[in-house]
Amino acid sequence: MRVFDTSHLQKHKATDDQPTYEHVYDYADSQANIARIRRHFIKLRTRLILGLVVIFLLPSTLLSFYFHFQFAHTLKKSAILNLAAVAETQKNTIDLYLQERVINLYNLLHSREFTLSPTPENMDNFLQSLKHFNDGFIDIGFINPQGIQTDYAGPYPFLRDTDYRQESWYQTLVTENRNYIISDIRPGIRGIHHFAVAIRQLIDGHTYVIRAALDPEKLSSLLKTISQGKEVESILINRQGQYQTLASGQKRFPDHSDYVPSHALTSGVEEVEHGQQTLFVAHAWLKEPQWALLAMQPMSTAQAGMQQARLTLLISLAGFSMLISAIIYYTINKLVDNARRMAEKGQQLEEMLAHAAKLASTGELASGVAHEINNPLAIIMATSGIIRDMLNPEFGLDHSPEAIRKELTTIDTAAVRIKGITRKLQDMGRSRTLSTTHCDVNALLDETLARLKKVEFKTKHIETATRYLPDLPRIPGEPNALRQVFSNILINAADAIDQKGTITISTAMQESMVSVTIADTGKGIPLENLKRIFNPFFTTKENGKGTGLGLSIAASIVKYMGGTIKVNSVQGAGSSFTILLPSKERSE
Amino acid sequence: MEKKKGIKVLLVDDEDVFRETTARQLAIRGFDVLTAESGEAALALVKNDPPEVVVLDLEMPGMHGSETFVEIKKNDPHVEVIILTGNTNVDSAIELIQQGIFDYLMKPINIDELLYKIEDAFTRKKLKEKQHYDFGM
Repeated sequence: MRVFDTSHLQKHKATDDQPTYEHVYDYADSQANIARIRRHFIKLRTRLILGLVVIFLLPSTLLSFYFHFQFAHTLKKSAILNLAAVAETQKNTIDLYLQERVINLYNLLHSREFTLSPTPENMDNFLQSLKHFNDGFIDIGFINPQGIQTDYAGPYPFLRDTDYRQESWYQTLVTENRNYIISDIRPGIRGIHHFAVAIRQLIDGHTYVIRAALDPEKLSSLLKTISQGKEVESILINRQGQYQTLASGQKRFPDHSDYVPSHALTSGVEEVEHGQQTLFVAHAWLKEPQWALLAMQPMSTAQAGMQQARLTLLISLAGFSMLISAIIYYTINKLVDNARRMAEKGQQLEEMLAHAAKLASTGELASGVAHEINNPLAIIMATSGIIRDMLNPEFGLDHSPEAIRKELTTIDTAAVRIKGITRKLQDMGRSRTLSTTHCDVNALLDETLARLKKVEFKTKHIETATRYLPDLPRIPGEPNALRQVFSNILINAADAIDQKGTITISTAMQESMVSVTIADTGKGIPLENLKRIFNPFFTTKENGKGTGLGLSIAASIVKYMGGTIKVNSVQGAGSSFTILLPSKERSE
Repeated sequence: MEKKKGIKVLLVDDEDVFRETTARQLAIRGFDVLTAESGEAALALVKNDPPEVVVLDLEMPGMHGSETFVEIKKNDPHVEVIILTGNTNVDSAIELIQQGIFDYLMKPINIDELLYKIEDAFTRKKLKEKQHYDFGM
């Protein structure tokens, strides 16, 4: 079903409050349309850009975070493994160093020069030979089976004849029947921090002990040397946590570590809170003495690579996001701009089309006017020609004033006819002043129908049916004008019916409007004509059979009365015209 | 009164005043003028009294001018038809010219202009008839 209405003709009536889907001509301000299009595209662009940015960036951001955490985890693991390896290597080095010192003593014991009753020179030589192996050796002494140091060479001569039976390392060495011992670092009898290496030797059933003191600073510097370039700080502690080396920045013993690794684990790595920072601490227990090597690394140092990687990741992610966003922004902007331009162009074309349609109807009007006016003009010209012929003696016609006056009257009549046409046209364009009374629409319809039945409907088999609303309110209007509206539409309905058909007239109230519906079972109106049926001089009737003014005049009258006409038409099934007229006087 | 031209013209127009006035003008100029107020009347006339030239209006009640033209040509293919109408319609003019009208004239028209057209049409008719008989015989 196609529907058209004439509400567009009503420029003075606000139609915005009740949007009708049946609207066809939308002569809304083109600027408003353009603005609407722009708003639509701005919204579209924002949505597209945001949507695409989220779609593109969300997965890459999530992936980046996933890889970042994977990487952090791997890096931590590798830092731990690395630290454990460092601790193990350093422990082995320290072990080797200490074992070598023990072997130095054994070598001395088994050397040819060795004697149980050495002279001071012998002792000096022994010390020199030890120092030759390692400059960590400080002194050397022999302890007899009674625990008395009988011979001594070194910087502390008062240690000769010292009784070592109360020294814990001596007791351990002798009572546990061990071959050698390395003591913890402590001041000892001399009052200066050192550690002792001692070996036990049974000679003729008597236990002799050779002991040597070693400089702990040598051990510390050894540890420092092997730690160099590893960003690791290493220390040695005993089972009680006391430092056996000087940590960096330390000047003197003793120092104590709060952290003592479990002796059950020969090696391992743990995270230890130390003051403000977290440390990775790898430990490895030495074979002898029972010292633990601790390799420490602040977590920040261990994860320095991580910080770098994180920074790189963030920068590249930000860069990537900006690049993608810029590309999306640029592309969408361009696409949306193009689309908007197309839409605006479309809108302009639509407006041009509407304008062209207006021009076309103007053309139709001009053509109709030409036909209506040219005929009387032809009469005027022909009659003035006859007058000229009368005055021409050659033709010998009657040129009495009466004869000429008669011809002039003909000219006048034709001129009046033209004037009538131009007035009709003006009436159509302009609002007329109609004498307004209260009209009974039902009665007017009956009257018009009765008149038409006598003449126009006579030649066909047209049945009419009326369905009136009984108490239809009277409406303000000019009865003759309304008769013309109804008559014009009814004639059209009859013309649409080929031979046999029905015209149904019904009246009703629609809110405050009186509605009159005239429906026929005729051939219907094709779409291309539907838009033009209210245009002046538009007709589909055979030439000479219709002026094309009927519906145009009807629409003009209805518009003047503040009403509308709508057409529903189904090709082949019929059309129905609905006239809505206000039941109350307009307040303007 | 001018001497007879021997040209029989049929003037078809529903405008009584125009038809009669123009017929008078043509008659005093030596044409044999027949008139008809509709297409139907014109057809009835041409069957009994065939003219040489028909001056035909288009917009008429009943049979339309273009239809009338076709029927007249069916009756006598040699008759020349001049359209004289108040309706400016280029499309219908072109169509009618293609269908074989002699000319398409616009109302209002000066009588002399119409006169020359009728004479031209008559000349062509005679020429065509001559050719027809020359080649036909």
